[in-house]
Amino acid sequence: MSRVKSLSVALGLCLAAAGAVHAQDAAPVELKLWHAYRDSEEQALLEAARVYKEQTGVQVTPIGIAFGAYSSKVETAVPRGNGPDLLIGAHDVLSKWQRLGVVEPAGEDSTAYRAGAGAALELEGKRYGYPLAFKTLVLLYNPELIQDPPTDTDALLAAAKAHTGGGSFGLAYEATAAYYFAPWMHGFGAKISGDDVHLDSPELIAALAFARRVGMDEGIVPKSPTSELMGSLFDEGKAAFVISGPWFAAGRKRAIAAIPLPTVSQTGLPALPFLGVEGVFVAGQAKHPGEAAKFAAWLAGPEGAAIRQELGGQAVAAKDAPPLPDTLETSVIRAVLAQAETAILMPTDPQLPNVWEALEDALRKVMRGAATPEEAAKGAEQYRKVLSRPPPEAANPVPYVVIMVLVGLGALVWLCLPLRDPNVRQEIKNKKVDYLWVFPAAVAMLALVVVPFVAGAAVSLFAHSQGEWTFVGFSNFLNIVLSRDWPVTSPLSFYYTLVVTILWTLTNVFLHVSIGMGLALVLREPWIRLRGVWRALLIVPWAVPNYITALIWKMMFHVQYGAINALLGFGGEPAQIDWFSSFSMAFSANLITNTWLGFPFMMVVTLGALQAIPRDLEEAAELDGAGAWFRFRHVTWPLLKPALLPALVIGSVWTFNMFNVIYLVSGGQPDSSTEILISEAYRWAFKRDLRYGYAAAYAVLIFGVLFVYGRAANKLAGKKVL
Amino acid sequence: MAGLTMRGLHKRYGETHVLKGIDLEVDNGEYLVLVGPSGCGKSTLLRCLAGLEEISEGDLLIGERRVNDVLPGKRNVAMVFQSYALYPHLTVRQNMGFALKIAKRPTAEIDAAVDKVAEQLELVPLLDRLPGQLSGGQRQRVAMGRAIVRQPDVFLFDEPLSNLDASLRSHMRVELKRLHRRLETTIVHVTHDQVEALTLATRIMVLNLGVVQQVGPPRELFNRPANTFVAQFIGSPSMNILPAQGDEKGIVVDGVDGAIEHHARGPIELGVRPTDFEVTDDGVWSANVDVIERLGAEALLHLELGPHKISVMVNEPTPIEMGQTIRLQPRVLHAFNRDTGVRIPEPAGATS
Amino acid sequence: MRQPSQSRLILTHVGLVVFTALTLYPVLWVFRLALESDAGLGGGLLPIPRDVTLDNFRNVLGTTDSHGWLFGKQLFNSIFVSVLTALMGLVLSATAAYSLSRWDFPGRNRAIGAFLVTQMFPGVVMLIPIYILLDKVGLLDSLLGLALVYSTTSVPFSVWMLKGYFDTIPRALEEAAALDGCTRFQTFFTVILPLAKPALAVVALFSFMTAWNEFILAATLMGDARSYTLPVVLNGYVDEYGADWGAFAAGAIIVSLPVMALFFALQRYFVEGLTAGSVKG
Repeated sequence: MSRVKSLSVALGLCLAAAGAVHAQDAAPVELKLWHAYRDSEEQALLEAARVYKEQTGVQVTPIGIAFGAYSSKVETAVPRGNGPDLLIGAHDVLSKWQRLGVVEPAGEDSTAYRAGAGAALELEGKRYGYPLAFKTLVLLYNPELIQDPPTDTDALLAAAKAHTGGGSFGLAYEATAAYYFAPWMHGFGAKISGDDVHLDSPELIAALAFARRVGMDEGIVPKSPTSELMGSLFDEGKAAFVISGPWFAAGRKRAIAAIPLPTVSQTGLPALPFLGVEGVFVAGQAKHPGEAAKFAAWLAGPEGAAIRQELGGQAVAAKDAPPLPDTLETSVIRAVLAQAETAILMPTDPQLPNVWEALEDALRKVMRGAATPEEAAKGAEQYRKVLSRPPPEAANPVPYVVIMVLVGLGALVWLCLPLRDPNVRQEIKNKKVDYLWVFPAAVAMLALVVVPFVAGAAVSLFAHSQGEWTFVGFSNFLNIVLSRDWPVTSPLSFYYTLVVTILWTLTNVFLHVSIGMGLALVLREPWIRLRGVWRALLIVPWAVPNYITALIWKMMFHVQYGAINALLGFGGEPAQIDWFSSFSMAFSANLITNTWLGFPFMMVVTLGALQAIPRDLEEAAELDGAGAWFRFRHVTWPLLKPALLPALVIGSVWTFNMFNVIYLVSGGQPDSSTEILISEAYRWAFKRDLRYGYAAAYAVLIFGVLFVYGRAANKLAGKKVL
Repeated sequence: MAGLTMRGLHKRYGETHVLKGIDLEVDNGEYLVLVGPSGCGKSTLLRCLAGLEEISEGDLLIGERRVNDVLPGKRNVAMVFQSYALYPHLTVRQNMGFALKIAKRPTAEIDAAVDKVAEQLELVPLLDRLPGQLSGGQRQRVAMGRAIVRQPDVFLFDEPLSNLDASLRSHMRVELKRLHRRLETTIVHVTHDQVEALTLATRIMVLNLGVVQQVGPPRELFNRPANTFVAQFIGSPSMNILPAQGDEKGIVVDGVDGAIEHHARGPIELGVRPTDFEVTDDGVWSANVDVIERLGAEALLHLELGPHKISVMVNEPTPIEMGQTIRLQPRVLHAFNRDTGVRIPEPAGATS
Repeated sequence: MRQPSQSRLILTHVGLVVFTALTLYPVLWVFRLALESDAGLGGGLLPIPRDVTLDNFRNVLGTTDSHGWLFGKQLFNSIFVSVLTALMGLVLSATAAYSLSRWDFPGRNRAIGAFLVTQMFPGVVMLIPIYILLDKVGLLDSLLGLALVYSTTSVPFSVWMLKGYFDTIPRALEEAAALDGCTRFQTFFTVILPLAKPALAVVALFSFMTAWNEFILAATLMGDARSYTLPVVLNGYVDEYGADWGAFAAGAIIVSLPVMALFFALQRYFVEGLTAGSVKG
């Protein structure tokens, strides 16, 4: 036995040596690993790569990709052979990745991992990937404040209440996110996956009512809690309990402990969170699949697990990971591991995103007090049904192809119509050189703007569902234009959003022009001191990238800690305006941000236009006894108008498509009501079940609206109206 | 230095026919002034000469060379624009040397040429300034200087004096005359100002609606205008034109008593310059004084002659008052065919 | 115009001070966040840091990876892409705008219209086609490819502005140049471009800013951290998993400073460059 073993070891060593020699002969193998880890988890990954290189000589290069861009990047790059050798991802994206060919099967038994971990990464009987860690929610607490953590919700609420007040909160969690609502839902016996899902079940209504009580009525949870807010509250000792995951514990500046979530006192059922199993996958079309698989197994195995547990604070899936001592430092990991045993595996049901969207919608309504739990649940069920409707019937592409070809030919003929005139043909021949000057720009625009847009627009004739593309003709357009899925007055209908978009554009342009022009009129007065300084300072909003300032504004609009509410308190108690709970306030927040961003452009344009207007005209009017408003209305404005008109038109087109502000500031809240067309299209494409076709149809309609607007503006400008 | 030859030049813009067959030989060293009302095609003709407009039909020769298809820069002509077209971002020196620099002449040669011309035109103190820092008159001189530095075969002037005030304009007229004498280069000068034409030109070409009306030395155009258009266009104040009938007894103006002896017969247009009248008690016409414009040394009388209005120039001081009736004798008569407006030639040996 | 009354003078200046203070308020918050050791929400009204530390800057500037100074590489990427974008944008738009401003060839008006129409394309649907296109021509994950995409997005606005400016340059200047022996290209380079400097400066700055501030395309088209531009890095500091506001703000300042410096340096051109065209229509 021992001889056999030593033989095999020797053989292994020989093979390893041969491999090493071989590796030295050829170019050294470098494995690329994509991940979205940050902070300590990323550090652990780097350390693991270093250790692995020491042991085997194989270089593994972890490449961090921003979380927001991760899945879209993986899904576009990997199937086209531009991906890495290895990927880290969670089990719930596995089925999509498998369909897209992003991941390769792993082919190894699952007994080395804790219960359920291997199974989570199985698909159609094959295992993909190597389980790394569990991600789930636990009840975190500040051990300095809480000595005896509660095991049921009544005790939790009582303890939380005792620690609320004076700027402190008993409990912090993202009360309006579905992921954080899931434990209550399970605690009341509701479920959202499987064959028979009903969001208006009594269990779910009870769970919603309970969530409302915990999140709002008790007054123990801070409003609009974001993870960074909860982090700073906890670090300042102002949060006794936090419901969050192991990622929250990383990098805390204060001791933190955790236990599994409590049982719901009303039902006696445990509040079970969803469980995510993270794994490392060998990527499809990997350059070195064999080496990659070896590293993946090593990283998931005991050695890798030890590093990830120690440095990264991960609740590792490997069975043979070093045991954890019963100390405060390991409390969070232990709680996660304990919770993982009972937590409910995040369903991979293709309908889940739709259920999720509907559920979150209902949750936000209840938390805001916009609906009772019953109404919200009923609405959510309705919404879920619409979202989960099967894609439109496949259509016969032939007539469409014929129509498109005819339309294309027609357009071509229309473009070539002037060529019938021999004079025009002669002129074109004579002016060949003129065309050469436009040629580079025209070709670049055609290749990189027009062709991508046409290709993107063509997608609007298809429906995308679970990775399957079906040709559906104009169904997407008909659904949108006839508002088949929801009443016209619903925030999700095209017309509602169109009205909001127009309102958005009009109010913005009006404010940009009036503020910009007002400032320009003041700044040109010769008696203003330090004119250059004002001008320089007032264009600052234009110079700072707008995604930066949009995020800063979003932060300043926070209901409890935002500077805007502090400002509106005029030095006393901060105002308590919840900026994102009603349409008018959220719209105003967007509007304020974009006005701030946009007025400098108009100011500069007006300053320029004013230079061309002789002041003696206004002086003559003043001599005639005209008042300031009259002078502006009848002398300055008519002269400014023609100069401002083009800037106005182009400014309104930009505002119409101002994605960043809407997306980053209000994010469409509440209930998508402040969404504009472009952000709505984005949401359909990337957030709600990846309905690319539907989103593309939106994009085509946006273009249509703007095109009509452009023609109308031309007409108006030609007549000098406005 | 070279002359110019235009043979049947036509210019069309689509349907619009701007120049309708221009034929002219310009000798080397001539000062040709193109004159006519705005829209007559004179600027277009000049731009055709420069090569800025394509010639639709006909031939253009500079010296012996046909230049229809030669690029403007290769025709060796220099142009002074109405707006001067000085390059705003270049100094006076750079402006003047620009053409030579494009021709890749050595720097020393350019500098020498610019210095020489600058001295002649008294531009030396301005050489390092930008056009924006110059007065209108100075810019005009720089534009001239830029043209001269190139030593072109032909100078083309496009209303070069029209942006100057009256006193500067008359001063520059003299300057131009002097310049022409010194350079002895062919000059083609476009203007709508007939005084400029009369004072500067060795020959004038009058254009109207793209057709040459008359070409000749200033004195000939003034004394023997080829048609009513030239007659009214050249000379200031403008010639009086009256409808009249001629027979053996002489010419009688329609609706006016009194016949004047003349060889013309039948219905004609009778032309008399305001300066060609004599106010005398035995004058053949009787006219009522409507308005008197006193111009200092002279006075311009606006008279009612029967149904017609005419103007007459008299020397000051004059005893004539408004409202008075006076008698006039026209001294020099021009007769034109009433239908065509063409001058009825004098019988051989007669003097006008 | 005559001097206004003393009270109006003071009121106007007070108004200006208040308005400017409000305008700068969010920007001052960025500074506060960048300078605080524990940046986050709360802390009330005034954007005055509770404590001052340069750790955030040090952290952002000091990022490294196995190849060396990561931030330096990303800074280089940003500068390279933005300068290249500005240059390519200038070449593409200046030639096109000049031709559209000067010569009346068949199809000219349609071309002007077409350039403006592309401004109306919603970018949402173009991301994936652009990715596939760049992949096909081998420009994926290349700074050149990224700059090419950026320069085309800024071309329509640039053409529109430059054409407006070129329209104001008198044709007589080109005719003078033609008579002086210039070819079209010589005229363009020696006469037109020097005269259009204000508009060219503005256009270059705008193209530069497009590239300097963009992160969605950059994150999708570029392969890894070493080829990212700064906005992508910056955006990574605040994502759905949590936010490092201190690092974000410090990065924001680092990213914004060059643009602000350019803005101030080019300010005198702005008024001229932006409006010369629109005054003429």
